[in-house]
Amino acid sequence: MKTINSNIQVVIAAKQFLFRFGTKTFINFIGVDPDIIEVDSINDLDSIINAKYESNYLIFSDDVLPSDHESFFKEFKKNNPLCKTLLIGDSSLNGAACSQYIVNNEVHTNMIEKFQTFFFEPFVEDESNNSDEEVLSEREVDILKSVALGLSNKEIADKHCISIHTVITHRKNVTEKLGIKTISGLTVYALMNKYVNAEEVTR
Amino acid sequence: MICSENQFVMDFINYSMNKNLPITANMIMADVIHLDYSLIPIVGRFDIDFGFGNKTVREVCEQKDINIWFFLEILNSYHNHDYFPKKQLQNFSVGLITRYLSNTHKFYLEHKVPEIDLLIDNLIEQAAYENRSNLQLLKTFFIEYVGELKSHLNFENNKVFPYVERLGIAVDTGKVSEKLYRSIRDNSIEKYEQDHDDLEEKLFDMKNLILKYMPPVINKNLCQNLLFELFNLENDLVDHTRIENKVLIPKVKLLEQKILETRENY
Repeated sequence: MKTINSNIQVVIAAKQFLFRFGTKTFINFIGVDPDIIEVDSINDLDSIINAKYESNYLIFSDDVLPSDHESFFKEFKKNNPLCKTLLIGDSSLNGAACSQYIVNNEVHTNMIEKFQTFFFEPFVEDESNNSDEEVLSEREVDILKSVALGLSNKEIADKHCISIHTVITHRKNVTEKLGIKTISGLTVYALMNKYVNAEEVTR
Repeated sequence: MICSENQFVMDFINYSMNKNLPITANMIMADVIHLDYSLIPIVGRFDIDFGFGNKTVREVCEQKDINIWFFLEILNSYHNHDYFPKKQLQNFSVGLITRYLSNTHKFYLEHKVPEIDLLIDNLIEQAAYENRSNLQLLKTFFIEYVGELKSHLNFENNKVFPYVERLGIAVDTGKVSEKLYRSIRDNSIEKYEQDHDDLEEKLFDMKNLILKYMPPVINKNLCQNLLFELFNLENDLVDHTRIENKVLIPKVKLLEQKILETRENY
């Protein structure tokens, strides 16, 4: 198995010693040789995760996870956008907004595979559930919202301080990216993805 | 005559086209379906029941009092998208075309649309609670589309087809009312040609909304059926529009021209 260069830091956050030790051993077992820091809570994570390293990884057990894990992940991602996160816990946490998730009682072959994926696969910055958010740019989302709210091209141009020509270009791009042509189709899409509320949409 | 060479070429092309027509009067009807089973609903629109044994197309048409040339035109137009009827246009009255087209409209509104509606309703009923509102959006979108489809088809049934039929009668009887003459001048068939394509976009969007952005459903089969029916409907509509554009409209333009010419010769 190949080893990767140790300009990497892995932070292991778990309350239990055995978990941290086991994880440390497992990392070496799969051929990664990073600098490892062990902590028993999620306090001060931001200061530990070090921009000096080429790559930062955080492996943590669900016993250090706060009950409001959604806002924890949001905050963490904001402060450490380039740090890959791996959560190991019980099945009820599947779907938490970390890069990767492993169930406690995973069989060892799967465990190896998942750890390898975690370390060796290239990091995709925004791995949130809404992959649609990557499809449209922020600007395009703004234009989409205005279209769904029933604004004319001129009104959209005025609202966003751009030319009508630019509005039309954005709309063309949105249609091309999404594959939806009609205004009502775009409105449905916007509603489905919660870009606008049902009450806001004029019918 | 200067044009005779061109005429010879046109006749030759027509002749070879006819030779190459896959569906002909002497074919066994059952074999036509074996050749292209997408023709099943088309055959049904002519009120032809299955169980026709080994009868030929000609025999089936004779039995049901169907104009054999028109029937073949329609079948071949659906079967081969590049098929472009030319000489045959002279062979049947425009009333035949409008009757076929309005039967097709009935088929869409009384069968296809309710089928799809039911599929969507079932999907919503069987979906998990949190996905219902998104599926409901699809239903609303579909209802909107049906509204537009209905008004387009009703416009055709109530305004376009009667106009076309009046043209046919005028040419047959030689009597052209002043009103009809004015209609031809002011609202000729060309305007109708332009409005034809907008309906397709909504249906296209409906397909993509389901295909790409569908909220999760419990009953995958239902979802597959729905998607399938939407694709089918779209294809049928595209073919239907092609018939209107390639069979009806050229015929009507001919009639309009004829009437205007006789009028001018007064």
